[in-house]
Amino acid sequence: MRSIVSYVKSSTFLRETGITLLSITLAFGVGCIILWAGGYSIPAVFANLWKGAFGNKLAIGQTLTKATPIILTSLSFLVAFRSGLFNIGAEGQMYIGAIATAVVASRLHLPAVLHAIVALAAGGLAGAFWGWIPGYLKAKRGVNEFVTTMMLSYVAIGLTDYLVAPRGPLHDPRYMANQTARIDLTAMLPRIMKPTQVSWAIVVAGIMVILVWYYLFRTPSGYELRSVGQSPSAAEYGGVRIKRKLIFALSLAGLLAGLAGAGEVLGTHFRFVDGFSPGYGWDGIAGGLIARAHPVGAIFAALLMGALRAGGMQVQRSGAAPGDIAAVLQGLVIFFIIAPTLVRMLFRWRRRRAE
Amino acid sequence: MSIWELLGGIFTIHLVLATLRLATPIALIALGETFSERVGIINVGVEGTAVLGGLVSALVAYATGSPWIALVAAVLAGGLAGGLHALWCIRFRANHVVSGIGINILVAGLALFITSAVWGWRGTSSYSDTLNSWYIVGVMFALIFGSQIFIFRTKWGLRLRVVGEKPEAADTAGINVHRTRYIYTIVNGMLCGLAGAFFFNNVGRFTTGMVGGRGFIGIAAMVIGNYSPVGALGAALMFGFIDALQMRLQTYIPSQFSIMLPYLITVLVLAFLIKRAQVPAALGKHYVKQ
Repeated sequence: MRSIVSYVKSSTFLRETGITLLSITLAFGVGCIILWAGGYSIPAVFANLWKGAFGNKLAIGQTLTKATPIILTSLSFLVAFRSGLFNIGAEGQMYIGAIATAVVASRLHLPAVLHAIVALAAGGLAGAFWGWIPGYLKAKRGVNEFVTTMMLSYVAIGLTDYLVAPRGPLHDPRYMANQTARIDLTAMLPRIMKPTQVSWAIVVAGIMVILVWYYLFRTPSGYELRSVGQSPSAAEYGGVRIKRKLIFALSLAGLLAGLAGAGEVLGTHFRFVDGFSPGYGWDGIAGGLIARAHPVGAIFAALLMGALRAGGMQVQRSGAAPGDIAAVLQGLVIFFIIAPTLVRMLFRWRRRRAE
Repeated sequence: MSIWELLGGIFTIHLVLATLRLATPIALIALGETFSERVGIINVGVEGTAVLGGLVSALVAYATGSPWIALVAAVLAGGLAGGLHALWCIRFRANHVVSGIGINILVAGLALFITSAVWGWRGTSSYSDTLNSWYIVGVMFALIFGSQIFIFRTKWGLRLRVVGEKPEAADTAGINVHRTRYIYTIVNGMLCGLAGAFFFNNVGRFTTGMVGGRGFIGIAAMVIGNYSPVGALGAALMFGFIDALQMRLQTYIPSQFSIMLPYLITVLVLAFLIKRAQVPAALGKHYVKQ
């Protein structure tokens, strides 16, 4: 028993995981207080939250479908974060990626598999371009990337809305809705858990987790990127060309977010639908923070977020409470997770009382 | 229609009045951020804090029927959010930007949950009695010029600037660094709460999208204004003008483009018009007493 305790204490990984789990518990505790104050039945809410997220095959499918783009947007946030930058514009980069993918997947005609790969690449590159702009402005003009990535998100959402609205150049004239034409069969990512919407997009997301992990921790370039985030002056002294690294980091972040949009088009909706994202880009910020900026952690963080989204819908349907309690829980988790000192303090206080 | 008729249709006295009104929340947020960044605390939670101000305005106006009580409540709620941010940044040593993001995400969730719970409509409140929002425009002008004098012409202003530039020196001189930072971060929150109250009083109800990035534009206005209240007002008037203009332009160009305009201009102005601002030296750094 004692050896386990000392192992937990000595292992950074376990300690970080412990703090994360404790933060989540604390957040759910405060969530209970809010539900109680609102006069809602706490057991009913949590039963429905669980049922909607993991209750049966359809529920699990919902959770995984929603987790898929969030894995990628979380990676997008954390790659930039590792270089010391804040990419809070994943939402816009995702929209730009999605529209580029939809164009390539419906206007270009290629053989199966190849078509999907080309369409994915188009989405990634378009997203990368949308990330490159704030990266360039940051490196060359010293413009705060926090504001620009956010502003460019609004621009991206407005721009894509214009393109697919009636009278817009990419609008599908057969429908009233703001959307593009359906993509070619050859470009679709096959569904892998019928009848749910889980598709090969989740495999793409998984591959990106491995690639990002390998890049950050096993390549010289990734090491340099992290060193810029930890100490720019030391990195510069060590010969890293900081400006190029910053531009690269935000472009890579944009690429990952663009892939999230591409996956939604090729695997979920089979066309670009205006407003297709309920906020997967913003969820990525939360996901990257919950993952403590570790690529593998992004999988678990995205699953948590996907489960909250899927479960929240079931809470809403059941009438136990407004489904947005899930969004409140998400916010609370973030709030506790970003103050590890607080969680550690509470933890120590409990132990001191126990002794 | 000749070009003169077109321009005459756009540039009217209404455009000037709309500019003043739309500049007001941006100026208040920029002023608040000027205070907190001057003492070294970055707060990107201003967006969420303004949303909170609007939400609390709607809640209290709905419960009491008094727009004045609602206004006070919004300012207090903003102060509370500012205090929370200060607590997180100073006591728990959270990264300033990350803590601000946390406020934005948490308030976004709360706003959806509370509107559903209270009014039954996701993200929207009912209409209630409001103040004439011109009162808040007037208050904004008074606050801007008052703060300009306060920051640059009084001993308290000198102290707050020292805390952001050289906290060690401030400490040696007997200024309580942490307390100063708490005070002005709370002031920042209160001003954002007031901005949120403006949004509410302007339309008579709360909607989750009503702030719509104006908090971030407020931060941009502070940068453009180079950390001075009057400078922030100037930048806010420019953004207010663009906002007013885009509403007029909706008659002539697709609405998606005109809605994009303020955001696009923000990026362009930051990219091409701004020389490096004089960033407070201790901005975003945790201060540990030796």
